[in-house]
Amino acid sequence: MSSVEKQAGDWLGARLTRKEDLRLVTGQGRYLADLVLPGMLHALFVRSEYAHARIKSIDASEALALPGVVAVYTGADIKDSVKPMPQSVVLPNLPARYPTFWPLATDKVKFHGEPVALIVARDKYVAEDAAELVYVDYEELPVILDPERALAADSPLVHEEDGSNEIFAMTLTGGETPEGQAENAAEVEKIFQAADVVVSERFRVHRTGITPMEPRGVLCDWNDADGLTAWITTQRPHIDRLALIDILDIPGEQVRVIAPRDQGGGFGVKAPFYRENIMIAYAARALKRPVRWVESRYESLMNVGQERDQINDLEIAASKDGKLLAVRNHGLADNGVGTTGVYWGFVMPFLGAVELPNAYTWERGDVRLRVATTNKASLTPSRAFGHFPTRFALERAIDMVAHRIGMEPAELRRRNLVPSLPYTSVTNEYYDSGDFLRVWDNLLERADLPAFRAEQAAARKQGRHLGIGFACGVELSGVASELLVPMENQPGYGAATVRLDPRGKVMVFGGDAPGGQGHETTTAQVVASLFGIDPKDVVVTTGDTGTTPFGAGSIGARAGSYFVSAVANACQELQDKITRILAHDLQIEASRQHFEFKDGEVVYLGDSSKRKTFRDIVERIIMHPINMPEGEVGGLEWTAFFEAAKPMICFNADCCIVEVDVDSGNFEIRRWVTSEDVGTLINPNIVDGQMHGAIVQGLSNAMFEEFVYDEQGQQLSADFEHYKLATAADVPDIEITYAPTPCPHTPLGTRGIGEGRPSSVPGALTNAVCDALAPFGVELTELPLRPDRVWRALQAARGERR
Amino acid sequence: MKTISVTVNGSVFEEDVPERLLLVDFLRDRLALTGTHVGCTHEGVCGACTVHLDGEAVKSCMMLAVQADGHAVTTVEGLARDDRLSALQEAFARHHGLQCGYCTPGILMNMTDFLTGNPDPSEDEIRHGLIGNLCRCTGYVHIVRAVKDAARVLRENTGGAR
Ligand code: FES
Ligand code: FES
Repeated sequence: MSSVEKQAGDWLGARLTRKEDLRLVTGQGRYLADLVLPGMLHALFVRSEYAHARIKSIDASEALALPGVVAVYTGADIKDSVKPMPQSVVLPNLPARYPTFWPLATDKVKFHGEPVALIVARDKYVAEDAAELVYVDYEELPVILDPERALAADSPLVHEEDGSNEIFAMTLTGGETPEGQAENAAEVEKIFQAADVVVSERFRVHRTGITPMEPRGVLCDWNDADGLTAWITTQRPHIDRLALIDILDIPGEQVRVIAPRDQGGGFGVKAPFYRENIMIAYAARALKRPVRWVESRYESLMNVGQERDQINDLEIAASKDGKLLAVRNHGLADNGVGTTGVYWGFVMPFLGAVELPNAYTWERGDVRLRVATTNKASLTPSRAFGHFPTRFALERAIDMVAHRIGMEPAELRRRNLVPSLPYTSVTNEYYDSGDFLRVWDNLLERADLPAFRAEQAAARKQGRHLGIGFACGVELSGVASELLVPMENQPGYGAATVRLDPRGKVMVFGGDAPGGQGHETTTAQVVASLFGIDPKDVVVTTGDTGTTPFGAGSIGARAGSYFVSAVANACQELQDKITRILAHDLQIEASRQHFEFKDGEVVYLGDSSKRKTFRDIVERIIMHPINMPEGEVGGLEWTAFFEAAKPMICFNADCCIVEVDVDSGNFEIRRWVTSEDVGTLINPNIVDGQMHGAIVQGLSNAMFEEFVYDEQGQQLSADFEHYKLATAADVPDIEITYAPTPCPHTPLGTRGIGEGRPSSVPGALTNAVCDALAPFGVELTELPLRPDRVWRALQAARGERR
Repeated sequence: MKTISVTVNGSVFEEDVPERLLLVDFLRDRLALTGTHVGCTHEGVCGACTVHLDGEAVKSCMMLAVQADGHAVTTVEGLARDDRLSALQEAFARHHGLQCGYCTPGILMNMTDFLTGNPDPSEDEIRHGLIGNLCRCTGYVHIVRAVKDAARVLRENTGGAR
């Protein structure tokens, strides 16, 4: 046991009320749209009305003449002074056809909603008036909307210079070479040929994602001496800073990016580097005035948060006694246009394919992916990054195997869960630690499957249809450099600066940028435990590139894994220094392990009369650095980094119980139970909240939300009337149980949690509905799962039976 | 332009406003009461902009500032009295009823009104009462608990009557 762990006091695991809440419940949060600078101008994007059209001309003269309008920019105006994307900082190390584009469309528009012009005005109402006066003459082009047809040789092209609509394709199994992959595929085929049971289905998941309640926004301020200060709704301010430097050719010392302290959710949507950021910075520099853009919900729904959208042709080979043998999946993702930095659309389905095998011990796998460019908004990251569709497909197919061999699906899963870790999956994903069986058994115990089966049988006799569904999920706990460098060309390590103040307070600085996950509180709990002080004496600053160490961003559940581990490492260094100097002052031979930091004091364990208050020793070292030990200087501030040698994971399992009305297809979720391995819990309230939110997001995606395009590529779902999010009345209460295994690779045993969590939800839900409909033999393979789909499946099944 | 007189959180404001100015923009941009948020494009669905007009919850993105002329508006900034949080505000913190906090002011305003009319609501009634407020972070579980607990506290404070 490391001494950090030993000294971690009572604050770890405490259900502490959040430090963030007082300002947020009183309306004193400071979100992007609340920030105002003197002389600030308002920006508004004019966006394409067509999905695919050539821009013949743009006439902005009337708009410019409107009193209050300061500037109007079009693609032609900026093309020569702004570098096009891609730039290396936002370019993954994955081979793909990366489209070239400028922040405003130049020759063509490629999706409904693409920015065509930027209006800058003194008043946002005037900017809206001006938008009506920008006349764009378009020549319509054939629209490419179907990913399968987009890949046909004779398809028109979205990005003509690329010569193909296939932005990315990869075989994830069988090694790097085509020969190795072919050999592997042949081995997999042999297993399929010999298997007792083969399930082979096409699974579809529609276009949906995690739309945060706060849309995007940017506020840029420029002066010729200091350069650019940009406030951006972002999860990764340090990456945005580098991108702005490269694209606008501003010297690095002149760019500071600040993510507002309060952000109204991110969920991946605020992780890419967006073209709008470039334009607002450009306008502020050109006009030497602060310029702010606040995205409308309409723009947001047309541009970001669109994810999932995959077809997975999935096959499983299994033995009749319930051994899962091989998995074969040919995925096809609808990338949309792909013009967003860092992710380009396809990075999500790429990771979705990597994560496909989940927690099961396959002998072999053959996993391939193709990604097609279309005239839709680009896929942008959404919590459960890429693997919401692949996990739905796999978890559904496993139930279908169970039905075929007549085994309880929960039992089939249990028999095939990876029994001990570490383990490397057939797609070469490394699972570092945990105890899947313990998590699973904990779920089963809470769900009480035998009692449910009895209740189900009794209900069936009365003509009522209850069903139970299970699914589980291996999720990334942070993203190691080993994965993030190839995937996003960025490092994964965590970084934190811990600064002690002469009054015994602690300031922590982190370069990630949270949006509601409670980092101020959890970090304070970690620091308070290690220093034996009160969390209220800890202040956490995030997201300002001017004051924080480089951080890869609030992505992929990095806080509980990478960030707090860096904080713990920094605290440990400071404890070392404090105890070295204290031992010297007390004239004893001792080091950190001989001291305890507790209740505001640092106490020598060998003789508890030898002690000093935390504040006094800190003040002594910072303010009175005389009579120091040999070679020691004053001051107490440390920046530490954390990187695990290998990627780390967390694990969860879901159980859903539904009742289906077989006459209407309506279904009601009667119970939702989960079992979680989140490692050492820092604040169970916050972890509970992460799980609740993620599960309901998964349900909302699976049952309600859907981005809809008509045959012209017009977006029909650009408001909350049409893009329906789950309301409180639509979703159940959630029972959470924990079966945690401390992570052996982090200093406190914590795991990063929450990011991938929605992915097991659609499988559990749909499995429950199919279980309820087992007497009819209904097997659903498509989302969204709505009563009309259930009803149609029932009709079809009844028709077949007649 | 029209001159309006609106009482906001107890103070009277007399302002010249364009007829088309939305109440939410009047509150946020003119009075700098930025606790009232905007979550949808003035379609009245998300509820982030909810305030009280003469004590009743309304969506301030669906109203013009001129329509508030002569009325009393309360925003989230006016919920705490003499630096004491309301029972609902306290319950939201205690039960972790908020994550990013973007939806929270609107939910607090709506539920404050709701509890006045229904001091002892069931979970189902609370969930239906929340239909006009979207929250993306919490899954609503802790929100429902917070409202229920605030109702209990309020009932105890008023002697359990009603
Ligand atoms: S902003 Fe008023 S209801 Fe959404
Ligand atoms: S707490 Fe983030 S939207 Fe409700």
